[in-house]
Amino acid sequence: MSDKAAKRPGSAGSTAAPAEFSFDGTPYRAIEGQTIAAALIEHGIVAWRRTRVNDQPRGILCGIGVCFDCLITVNGEPNVRACMARVEPGDDVRSQEGTGYGD
Amino acid sequence: MATDVLVVGGGAAGIAAAVVAARSGCSVTLIDSSPTVGGQYYRGAEPPDSGSGLSYEALRRAFDELVDAARIDRRLHTYAYALERRDGGFLLRTRGDDRHRGDVGEVEASAVVIATGAFDRQLPFPGWTLPGVMSGGGAQALVKGSGVLPGQRIVVAGTGPFLLAVAHALISAGGNVAAVVEANDPLGLARHTRSVLPAAGKSADLARFLAALAKKRVPYLRRHRVRRATGNGRLESVTVSRVGDDWQAIPGTERLLECDALAIGYGFTAQTDLAGQVGARMRIGSDDGLAIEVDARQRTSVDGLLAAGETTGIGGVDLARMEGLIAGVAAVEHCGRRAALSERAIDRGMRDVVKLRGFADALHATFPVRDGWRDDVDDTTLVCRCEEVSAAKVRSAVNDLGARDARSVKLLTRAGMGWCQGRVCAPAVDGLCGFDSAASLIGGSYRPVAVPVPLGAIASDRMSP
Repeated sequence: MSDKAAKRPGSAGSTAAPAEFSFDGTPYRAIEGQTIAAALIEHGIVAWRRTRVNDQPRGILCGIGVCFDCLITVNGEPNVRACMARVEPGDDVRSQEGTGYGD
Repeated sequence: MATDVLVVGGGAAGIAAAVVAARSGCSVTLIDSSPTVGGQYYRGAEPPDSGSGLSYEALRRAFDELVDAARIDRRLHTYAYALERRDGGFLLRTRGDDRHRGDVGEVEASAVVIATGAFDRQLPFPGWTLPGVMSGGGAQALVKGSGVLPGQRIVVAGTGPFLLAVAHALISAGGNVAAVVEANDPLGLARHTRSVLPAAGKSADLARFLAALAKKRVPYLRRHRVRRATGNGRLESVTVSRVGDDWQAIPGTERLLECDALAIGYGFTAQTDLAGQVGARMRIGSDDGLAIEVDARQRTSVDGLLAAGETTGIGGVDLARMEGLIAGVAAVEHCGRRAALSERAIDRGMRDVVKLRGFADALHATFPVRDGWRDDVDDTTLVCRCEEVSAAKVRSAVNDLGARDARSVKLLTRAGMGWCQGRVCAPAVDGLCGFDSAASLIGGSYRPVAVPVPLGAIASDRMSP
């Protein structure tokens, strides 16, 4: 098994290119190739959706694209799986309320 | 344009099948939803320059070379959402990733290898919807795929040897693992010497993981179960208890573990959707989960449809690779060609499959799911996270409304009707309602669309010239 060393925020030694993105208007830095979920978790953000019925916070559950619990709005497009979508430079990422369509 | 062999899924099984088929002169298309091949275990890690023959490393290097030589058409960021029979072969409908979900496409193929893997099986408990609670596979994906730890202090819990693999991956990345909480007694594996000894390499993996835990003084709490998670808007602690043979909590053994991440899983569920769409026969695996039925050459009940890896029964990455090789051979033969793998190598591969399957069965017998988890599911605990259906509603569907199968519960409560199409809550609904899981699993597993597709994308695709 080849475990890639995990890097905590601001840790040295990473050679991957950084990617700037924003979450609810605040700028953050990710490493290119990281998922949106991973980039947010690295910055201590573990919830980015509130549920439709009970208005409860959610983050990742399955983490591999199956459960759709981690839905988030990216560049105006709601219901993107944060665990699968990779950060792209300049992404405008927003937490999602319910269905994400303002209904 | 049709391809000879279409491989769905680029993990260990899919890579092995694709390499065998391409080397045998077949045209090969492989699709995977991720940005890289490697699957959940290896992920995108570049293959080291080691390993020979039919090792994963050697197969992965061969795969990359065959892609570079345009002998394998590798399509990443691509989801399969529907498989159909077409003119004696198959038609697979695809869409792009979530940023490009309108990019729909089709692949026609003579033979199809289903190598779509599995995901963690979850059982509900109070607090399991708190942010910070995630699957073991999700934690592994964070650390191996994105180089990020799921939290500052992590509890790994559930059952099975995969917990040790997750803890090992977290520790290797510098993570602080507070404890590994295992509901079963791993020493039970010693009873299965006839299955364990031939697969000595697998036992060595487990020993290596245990040694890493011991070195970091991470407690391995055997016969313990997470009973609830608590926190204000996010996970702050979990309560664990010692459990008896049926996983019932033993009074007076409760203990609070502070943590901001919980990586949890009770085995796995195979992704069998595509095979189900074309009517392939299913079976119940030794882990009580759904699996695609295959013969010794990985052939399903549908002519030309092969299956390999976790989809044929949960068994781990080495079994997946060997099944992939055999499935590749069967796909080549279905296309009327001779496989570029010697009879001896094929025989050895099939013997390895039997050996590794025996080891997997021993693991499943050692790490089963017992009923005691139900005791902690109070009325307010959500069973279906998508539609936010509580345990009270699910139980009422059975006790008050007379539901006798998961489909009725779904129609009465919406449990299983959300985004995940019941993939997460199915084991919980069956367990809480006391349904015969075999009938329920097979009946509830038919999903005509495996991943959501925008209707507009399908409509515009069909109308385009």
